[in-house]
Amino acid sequence: MSGGPYNYSYIFKYIIIGDMGVGKSCLLHQFTEKKFMADCPHTIGVEFGTRIVEVSGQKIKLQIWDTAGQERFRAVTRSYYRGAAGALMVYDITRRSTYNHLSSWLTDARNLTNPNTVIFLIGNKSDLEGQRDVTYQEAKQFADENGLLFMEASAKTGDNVEDVFIETAKKIYQNIQDGNVDLNAADTGVQLKNTTAPADRKQTQQQKQDGCNC
Amino acid sequence: MAEGGPPRGATGTGGGGGLGEKETWELFSNWVCCVCVVTFDLELGQALETVIPSDYKLSDTEKSNICYLAFPDSNSGCMGDTLFHIRIRCTGSGTGGTDLRPTNHHYGAPLVLMPDPAYYYGFVYFRQVKDSDIRRGYFQKSVVLLTRLPYITFFNFIIQRIAPEYFTHGLASLEAACGNMNQWPPPRPGQQLHLPILGQIIYVRLPTKSDKPAARDGEGPVIKKSSSVVVIPSVHDLNLHQALQPVLNNFEMIWELVITNEPIVVMGPSPTLCANTVQALVSLLHPLKYASDFRPFFTIHDSEFKHYTTRTQAPPRVILGVTNPFFTKTLDHWPHVIKLGEISSSNPGTEESRPHQRSRSPGDLSDTRPGVFSRYKPFLQKDKTFARLVISNKTPPGKRPMEVQNVMVKKHALELTTSFIIPLERYLASLMPLKRDVSPWRPPPQLKPFDSELFLKGMEGAGPHLTSRVKGNWTGLYQ
Repeated sequence: MSGGPYNYSYIFKYIIIGDMGVGKSCLLHQFTEKKFMADCPHTIGVEFGTRIVEVSGQKIKLQIWDTAGQERFRAVTRSYYRGAAGALMVYDITRRSTYNHLSSWLTDARNLTNPNTVIFLIGNKSDLEGQRDVTYQEAKQFADENGLLFMEASAKTGDNVEDVFIETAKKIYQNIQDGNVDLNAADTGVQLKNTTAPADRKQTQQQKQDGCNC
Repeated sequence: MAEGGPPRGATGTGGGGGLGEKETWELFSNWVCCVCVVTFDLELGQALETVIPSDYKLSDTEKSNICYLAFPDSNSGCMGDTLFHIRIRCTGSGTGGTDLRPTNHHYGAPLVLMPDPAYYYGFVYFRQVKDSDIRRGYFQKSVVLLTRLPYITFFNFIIQRIAPEYFTHGLASLEAACGNMNQWPPPRPGQQLHLPILGQIIYVRLPTKSDKPAARDGEGPVIKKSSSVVVIPSVHDLNLHQALQPVLNNFEMIWELVITNEPIVVMGPSPTLCANTVQALVSLLHPLKYASDFRPFFTIHDSEFKHYTTRTQAPPRVILGVTNPFFTKTLDHWPHVIKLGEISSSNPGTEESRPHQRSRSPGDLSDTRPGVFSRYKPFLQKDKTFARLVISNKTPPGKRPMEVQNVMVKKHALELTTSFIIPLERYLASLMPLKRDVSPWRPPPQLKPFDSELFLKGMEGAGPHLTSRVKGNWTGLYQ
């Protein structure tokens, strides 16, 4: 079991939220496939993607739910927030309206996730500097005031895309290390690996405990 | 996403062309033909309101069957939510999807889990609630998932997951669920599959034909502490103990009726109970596949109602599950009737299930006590040890958990079936030409004819009595 590409110790659940057309699916696609999708159809409800990343020497599988921005799916997508360990909240730096709606997305995220959920604000389309409609400083200030992590990124060039996913994972892992996340509690969005093989699970738990003690 | 599968499985956004080709339903159709919403229209009666994918082609007969079978036969007793499954004959081409194309996804699957080319399985979630805004005062709607895969437990879970969401959030939710299913990897036997559905990941492994009956059999879906993951230990295993409770006392006889392909009607108070019991009867033959038709839930509106209930011919060799009391008259010429009572979990009622010798007088037909009504004289004797162990498990010291009871019932059925089949296999093998006789320079060797006399004679030395503790006239059963 050890060393293989499918070996990982944790599963983190992410959701990606934000207005229609800000590039949520493209960010996910860039992260999982390392490619930019020029023609991306509207997301129906929720799409799903996974990738294994490494944080502090731990392999972590990210299960990412990419929600539809369309208003008609809003009620549906709300039910996906539950149990998310990380929420990526995306706006488009070239469209102020998508930025103005952030408070509504943030309210949903705060109300529907648990207090330890890491929320990362992403200003997408940073490659379109000429059409910029929201300054970096303004968004940075909004993030600081609300205790959010923040970065600008580009799903097109791939700039910072890797970082936002990994920084979020680092923060979640940090929360686990600090004892802020109870691994036995429901809906933390964090799981120890191997829900199918109890023996493995025990082993992983053992490793985990050892890790904590030292 | 398949563990150990192609790299895309571990890193992709769902594979199959990814997000760019969502309009193809290729991945979806590996699992599901279509999802329908059936509503009660005051003008039209039951009507198909929605079909996803919208271009999936159903014939008129299929549509009518889906509509009528999607609602319980008598709605009065079904307030709230009702879950059951149906089986209907394919009459259309089904060409809206790609589900008829030959596929090797199922290579290595057990026979009983192969897709059924001639039938649809429909998993129905029916909701009936009071709603004063509607003219008749009731909201009545069903979500039906149609598939050719007999993964009973699995799809029962899926429909329970997607239908209530639909009733709460509307069509957008059903589209989202179908979108998720259109990201699923193909149903390959033996692989651990991770299937996203409405914010949860289902972990499931499809069995292969070389699997040994596992100790975990018969458990329901396990919801892990983390609500984002559900483990379904088995896609098709039913709780046989529960489904067959009213007839456990006649277990060997029931098994004989099924393996000899006798016409059986199951009459029960709800489609849920009927469907489970009919499915349980059919599964008694595992690993053999029940080759005749069976209908977990059958109504007078089924397009084959006339054909199956005619009195001009002997009853068809099928198993039907019915709830409409009308069938007690229509099918009173059927030789074997299983009646189900209301099953209450607190009282595993078995004392009523003494074999009833069914009489033709109408007075006895209205007898609603659960049990088997049949004039059939079983060839095999009862296995008293089995009966004592499984049925009289009522006294507190002998109280075994349901799962264990279920495994015991399943094991007993498996033992009967394999004991029955081993002598046949052995004899058939002896009819095959020897390898040394097969040669390109000689005419193809002939199979020896099946000589039933000879076969039965061989039984003395190699009969089922060697592998089964059930005594009785096995020879008579073969004849």
